[in-house]
Amino acid sequence: MAGIVVLTATVPLLFVIYSSMQLSASKWAGLWSSRLPELIGNTLSLAVVVAILCLLLAVPSAWLAARRDFVGRKLAIWLLVLPLTIPTYVFAHIYTVLLEPDGWLGQIWQGIAGKGAVVDIYGLGGAASMLALATFSYVFLLSYTSLIDSRRSLEDAARIHGASRWQVFQRVTLPLMRPALAAGLIVVVLHALSDFGAVSMLRYQTFTLSIYLQMSGRFDYQAAAGLSLILVSMSLAFLVLERFFRRQQRYYAGAQTRFVVRKQATAAETVLIWSWLGGVSLFAFIIPLGWMLAWSYEALVQDLIDAKFWGYTLNTGLVSLTAATVAVMVALPIGLFHSRMRSWLSTTYVQLSSIGFVLPGPVVALGAIAFVIAVMPNLYGGFAVLIMALVVRFLPLAVQAQESALSQLTPSVEQAGRIHGAGPLQNLRRVVLPMIRNGMITAWVLVFIDVLKELPATLMLRPVGFDTLPIRIWIEASEEMLELAAPAALMLVLGTLPALWIMMRSHAVRR
Amino acid sequence: MMKAKNILALLLGAATVLVSGFSWAADELVIYSGRKDKFVEPVMEKFTEQTGIKVLLHSGKSTALLNKMKIEGARTQADLYLSNDAGNLQKGAEFGLFKSLDEALVKDIPASLRGSDNSWVGLSARARVLVVSKNARDLDWVKSVFDLADPRLKGRLGITHSANESYIAGVTVYMESVGEARTKAWLEGMKANVDGSVFNKHSKIVKAVATGQKDVGLVNHYYIYRHLAKDANAPIAIRLPDQDGMGVAWNVAGVALSKYSKKQALAEKFIAFMVSEQGQKIFAEANNEYPTRPGVVAAAAVPAAGSYKVADVPMVKLGQKRDATIDLIEAVGMP
Repeated sequence: MAGIVVLTATVPLLFVIYSSMQLSASKWAGLWSSRLPELIGNTLSLAVVVAILCLLLAVPSAWLAARRDFVGRKLAIWLLVLPLTIPTYVFAHIYTVLLEPDGWLGQIWQGIAGKGAVVDIYGLGGAASMLALATFSYVFLLSYTSLIDSRRSLEDAARIHGASRWQVFQRVTLPLMRPALAAGLIVVVLHALSDFGAVSMLRYQTFTLSIYLQMSGRFDYQAAAGLSLILVSMSLAFLVLERFFRRQQRYYAGAQTRFVVRKQATAAETVLIWSWLGGVSLFAFIIPLGWMLAWSYEALVQDLIDAKFWGYTLNTGLVSLTAATVAVMVALPIGLFHSRMRSWLSTTYVQLSSIGFVLPGPVVALGAIAFVIAVMPNLYGGFAVLIMALVVRFLPLAVQAQESALSQLTPSVEQAGRIHGAGPLQNLRRVVLPMIRNGMITAWVLVFIDVLKELPATLMLRPVGFDTLPIRIWIEASEEMLELAAPAALMLVLGTLPALWIMMRSHAVRR
Repeated sequence: MMKAKNILALLLGAATVLVSGFSWAADELVIYSGRKDKFVEPVMEKFTEQTGIKVLLHSGKSTALLNKMKIEGARTQADLYLSNDAGNLQKGAEFGLFKSLDEALVKDIPASLRGSDNSWVGLSARARVLVVSKNARDLDWVKSVFDLADPRLKGRLGITHSANESYIAGVTVYMESVGEARTKAWLEGMKANVDGSVFNKHSKIVKAVATGQKDVGLVNHYYIYRHLAKDANAPIAIRLPDQDGMGVAWNVAGVALSKYSKKQALAEKFIAFMVSEQGQKIFAEANNEYPTRPGVVAAAAVPAAGSYKVADVPMVKLGQKRDATIDLIEAVGMP
């Protein structure tokens, strides 16, 4: 079962390998000498800078939200998760517009730094900041979950043995968070490696951008495939690194221990906490939201929101719901297999399933087209192909989230179920699934949100005449029709709210 | 579990209904379009109104759609391919994706604005011009695109990044007109002048010139008029370069008929409408471009075609020399 899923997930990779094998040695040499060293450097620095920025933004915020009680804590959590709903290309677009000399932020900056001062958003700094703002919520979410799920006994024990608060954090809390941090960071890094929207808008040459340029400038799919293969190897290196950090780490919680209690913050602390959390969410959510609202209002005034717009909204919802549901279901066997029968094979499965995420969207899309036309031509042009490509692309999110939930599951509980006569299926249904419910919901919501924002693969694979909101944002924003792009972006935020609400509630149930 | 199953069944049901709901009707023409919907819809609506033939736009990036057609082969749903760049159209012709059009169908469009064997036909033309700031001093000497390489313009010049298709097409025209060596020197001069800072959109170059951030930019002519339509008092002006030399570089948007279309007769009707006087007028005017059919005039604000010198480079060169142009741009390392 897990094998079949993994096999499907590797179709685009096989296509890429096949295509790059047709690349002649001289062309490889040309690629190598002309651009590879720079591309590798650029791509790696982007991934590392984004990861560091995300840690800085997410970990303090998660700790504060999980361990201190202050006025508006729930609101703060929402504000820190909501940036997930904004695609990277929308972030890049909004901030380039706002930082122009006549933009809101550009004018403020001129007030501070003197007339004529311009913030240069192009290049590594800008691209990394945009990606960090758009993705730090993954790290926040997973660290927050792990912090509120961790049991009190370990930290209490450390305190009793005379550890200071900082020592407890450093030596108990942080190591306990490690699987969550690793899972969150890998999601962030994979996003950074495969991002196309923001880097192309901010003109930072990474592998993904270069792959796209090979395909669009020269129609050279083989060269694009060659570059993709290197990108995949880099991503696998990161994945192996992540596994290395998580190796042999399994924490089981006994049923009787209590959860950590949040400490009430004093008034002064509350002010400090809010100035940090407020500052983060100002840039990550409130400013972009303000921009969307302002231009959506403009669109409303100009009567630009019509039946077609609602059609795009419906299409987007349909694609996201279907793809997220399918992804969660197909990810379960992989996660189960890996957590129950850990072996080199299961590790390989998990890593292979991650491939879709790091292959650039257009490459996945062309791979899917070629595969479907060759193997099941009658399906081609329909909805199923789009869903298949999206599931392949976002499967790793589902696998990661479910697997980190499964890894916290104590085997003894399952063994108890079996001893009491439950069959494997009954055990799955009555013991495993309820216990990893939160993990599954998280997985579903993460995939849902990413599919909602997905652009390149949808652009290539959608059935004829089937437009989604990201596609409209892309079409309108690329012609500076801001009043048309903003309502679509706003609708993406609104569309994600119910999904986020479900996920947040599932955490709130426990705490 | 039951609940999950029910939800799934519901979703699949909804999906099936919707999939059958939005699939195109048998007599509907499908256009893979790399042009913005807004600039295609007016002419499409007029066509449907006159012929009763429905048209479905499948928009995307020109190059991505061409890649898609190439890999789809006979399975493609495209009846027509529409692109803003002659280079893409010619590339598609070289990939053997298009069917040659009857001479009678496209005879009203000049041969230099069509593909070889009439594999595609140009519908509207854009001129590669300079946008200059009215407030900038000491710019009168800039009369040629080659002047943009002059060190006097260091920090004052706005150009797009070198992956832009209009930019590539322009470089091809210059390379064909004055040779590779001079074009290379020109690119190197511009590279020094912009010092790594280029724009990702033409509209931003025009804006930068209007706000005084830059003094001069290299753009397609209609971006200037689009900006003036929003802000009529912007201190910018168009300058037609190289009037004493090679002339202004043109590029065309055009349409091609998919070799695998099962509705070739309908698609030919569409092309016939696009090259008719009425179709030409609507299509070009939507974006202040030049109709390719002689005798149909462009919008009044735009310098009239024929009133200035245009570089004598057939549009097929934009496809034939595209790889060579990209090689040159990469050799220089243009940002």
